Amino acid sequence: MAFIEIRNLFKRFKKVVAVNHIDLEVKQGEMLTLLGPSGCGKTTTLRCIAGLEKPEEGDILIDGKPMLSQGFVQPSKRGIGMVFQNYAVWPHMKVLHNVGYGLRLQKIPRRQIREMAYQVLELVGLSGLEERYPAQLSGGQQQRVALARALVRNPKVLLLDEPLSNLDAKLREKMRFEIKSLVKRMGITSVYVTHDQAEAMVISDRIAVMDSGNVAQLGTAEEIYKKPANRFVADFIGTMNFIPGKVVQILKDSRAVYVRAEFKENILCQMDHLDETTLGKTVYVSIRPEDVEILAQPTPARENLLKGTIVHKAYLGNFLYFFVSVNETMIRVQVSHHLPQEEGQELFLSLDPQKCVVLL
Amino acid sequence: MSRGNFSLTAFLWAVIALLVVYPLSILVLESFRIAESAGWGIHNYLEFFQDTYYLKTFGNTLVLSTLVLLATTLFGIPLSYILARYRQRGKTLFTALILLPIVLPAYAGVFAFIIFFGKFGTLNLLLMDTGIIKAPINFIYGLHGLVFVQSLHLLPFIVLSLSAGFTTIDPSFEEAAEVEGASGFRRFITVTLPLCTPTYLAGAVIVFLWPFTDWLTPMILGQVDFLPSVAYINIAYHFTDVHRKYMGIVAVVVSSFVCIALFLLARRWVERKKYTGLSKGTTSEGRVIEPGAGIKWLSYLYTFFISALVLLIPIVLGLAAFSRRWVFEPFPTYWTLENFRVILLESPLLIRNSFVFSGIALVFGMVFGLPAAYLIVRTRVRGKDALDFVITLMLAFPGIAVGVSYLLGFWKGIPLATHWIIMPLALFARRLPYFLRMAHSSYLQLDVSLEEASEVSGVGKFRTFFYISLPLLIKGVLVGVVMFFIMAFQEISTAIFLYRGGWETLPIGIYLNWHRGMEFGIAAAMAFLMIVITFILLLIISRIGGGVLKAAWGPGGK
Repeated sequence: MAFIEIRNLFKRFKKVVAVNHIDLEVKQGEMLTLLGPSGCGKTTTLRCIAGLEKPEEGDILIDGKPMLSQGFVQPSKRGIGMVFQNYAVWPHMKVLHNVGYGLRLQKIPRRQIREMAYQVLELVGLSGLEERYPAQLSGGQQQRVALARALVRNPKVLLLDEPLSNLDAKLREKMRFEIKSLVKRMGITSVYVTHDQAEAMVISDRIAVMDSGNVAQLGTAEEIYKKPANRFVADFIGTMNFIPGKVVQILKDSRAVYVRAEFKENILCQMDHLDETTLGKTVYVSIRPEDVEILAQPTPARENLLKGTIVHKAYLGNFLYFFVSVNETMIRVQVSHHLPQEEGQELFLSLDPQKCVVLL
Repeated sequence: MSRGNFSLTAFLWAVIALLVVYPLSILVLESFRIAESAGWGIHNYLEFFQDTYYLKTFGNTLVLSTLVLLATTLFGIPLSYILARYRQRGKTLFTALILLPIVLPAYAGVFAFIIFFGKFGTLNLLLMDTGIIKAPINFIYGLHGLVFVQSLHLLPFIVLSLSAGFTTIDPSFEEAAEVEGASGFRRFITVTLPLCTPTYLAGAVIVFLWPFTDWLTPMILGQVDFLPSVAYINIAYHFTDVHRKYMGIVAVVVSSFVCIALFLLARRWVERKKYTGLSKGTTSEGRVIEPGAGIKWLSYLYTFFISALVLLIPIVLGLAAFSRRWVFEPFPTYWTLENFRVILLESPLLIRNSFVFSGIALVFGMVFGLPAAYLIVRTRVRGKDALDFVITLMLAFPGIAVGVSYLLGFWKGIPLATHWIIMPLALFARRLPYFLRMAHSSYLQLDVSLEEASEVSGVGKFRTFFYISLPLLIKGVLVGVVMFFIMAFQEISTAIFLYRGGWETLPIGIYLNWHRGMEFGIAAAMAFLMIVITFILLLIISRIGGGVLKAAWGPGGK
């Protein structure tokens, strides 16, 4: 069941369209991530849910209640908790008062506020720091204060705006799992904004990849990585080789097509939706570097066998990275085992038709 | 430490020693002298703190400071919020008008308000003519008038510092409060205002210290029981009564001590409580909101009211300047250029002196200020923090302390006071921090790698400064130059102790004309002339870029 429903949301700043008529649903208890490069509209969408921006068109329903169409509901009345990119932990209040601020406004007795604040601070691992001022805390600890403050009122919805982007790499990785398990344990419906794809893949149930105000693809991490809906998603998530070419043959029975690549070789690609393709159409055969196989000798049994020359070879610890030129077209290859070939030497590449995705 | 930097520091310290440390130590020494004997001791201080009259003046001054701070804060909070956050037509004009008193000489305001609000001033006469009141109301003479005049003069400092706070605090602090359930007034009180306290305090301390500096306004309004006025009277009028002179010096030292102590306390507090957010790049335009219709009208009315009060000063002085015998009439009836003829033809010396003294002071200011800013911002020369500290302290020193100490120090010991050069020297010493601050803050905004790139390309430090730094700093420096000139031009509290026949400046002329013969017309014409000159200089500043001014004065602290 959809707990947050975004319908036809449209928001622009002066002449720049930030969110272009998008529809999205977040299920009860789900963690949905809005992922995209800066300026794609992910933060604006989140701020619209929070009520910090007033969209021009559309509606947002939280737990079935419209936030816009029946009069604008103020952020303070939406029952949300929010973690800001820069934490926004008030520097003039102690940790305890930061966390208890919202409760005090609800006229909850002081003793009860204290108890609730202590509980949630223990949950985020800040016990014993209740009387500190934010300036006396590390960045990671301030982050936890912000999280505690957002959770203490038991909100229906938790919104997180790039909460980890100000932390150093090691801490960021640790906090991903912590936030995920905490939010899952409390069963809060949450929307998470990030530009970091690894973060999105670790933390979310589903990911909405956004591109210039539109939702480019919505799906689980695996769906988005393995079956990108378009070139933008394929390019933004991970690394992808794009080989331009033309469709020269459609094999209806085996659900596949032959694409004549620009380096004058035919590539066989598996394809689910043949109806989108016509003969002679310009397409991009897309394959991940780790899906390309390297062979020292040509093996005739293999499909899509290409001959190329190593231009660069790089050692990256847990894998090797090759830039292979196939008739001037550069293909990136990642292999996890040692290979003796050096720069300038020839080798053969094999592209598994199952792993080749045809994108427009 | 390079040798160049070292000799530069030595030079600057020598100047500071001669023009600041030496006279001020003489001042403190003199306060321990016992009249009619060659002895020394703390008798003067004992007397000061046991004498009910001196204690009363001390108390009065504290009360006045508190009242002025309260008034400026109460009126300043809504005003700065409106200017910082509301979308308003004509905002630039309103802002300019409200900030105008910073550059207007304080005494100009007093004269204008006496003419307008005095016992038989325009307002009273109009009210009596229309029959609303029978006898004139005392609007201006007394503590309430003093609070009003000083508050209007000091309001810009509060507005500048508070609106800097309102525009620069991280917006997410307020948004977080909103999400947590606090909207409107609640959010303002619990989050916005507390976060502005550091910037507020930087302005508040200037306001609070002013009554310890301003001896002239109370005297003109017939109130003398305040510390600086008593000090002035004791020193200037009782040169024969040596004991009273020493008591005056004690009063000066006590005010200076209070000023310095409060200034340092405020500075320490501000430095401890710097609330900086993590947001990168928040635009001030993004915070501007469209208020509801009712609020909008109220805010218009309010800004208009304050601007009108400020506008009264040039208007009333203008009327007085172009007329004669403006008494017992709501508006002048006899128009003439006589006042200007007297000023321009009979005593052009005053104008010439004003320009010459301020100009020379300005040259001193630049020769000293630019290297000082360079040393403080760009080098790690030993003693640069102390240098910065001493120069900043001059902001807090009452002008009267500088004047008296120069009189004492450069009369017998180092006989500079017999030459007119003492006048620009005193102006320079008094207004030193103004120029330095401007150069300093523009220097801070100049990315050091721009200079480093020049040095790496093989250009020496000295030429780098002239080819790279100076052209990039020029805006800030020029604004500093003009600001310094304006401040030196209107300086009176120091100069009044040092001038001799033939060295009078315009401000001194204003004071003498009012004081001696109640020549209101000529005093008003001189004040009007000063306002016109200041206004032209301000136009130049805004041409160069008013943003520089705000950057230097806004967030306060340093």
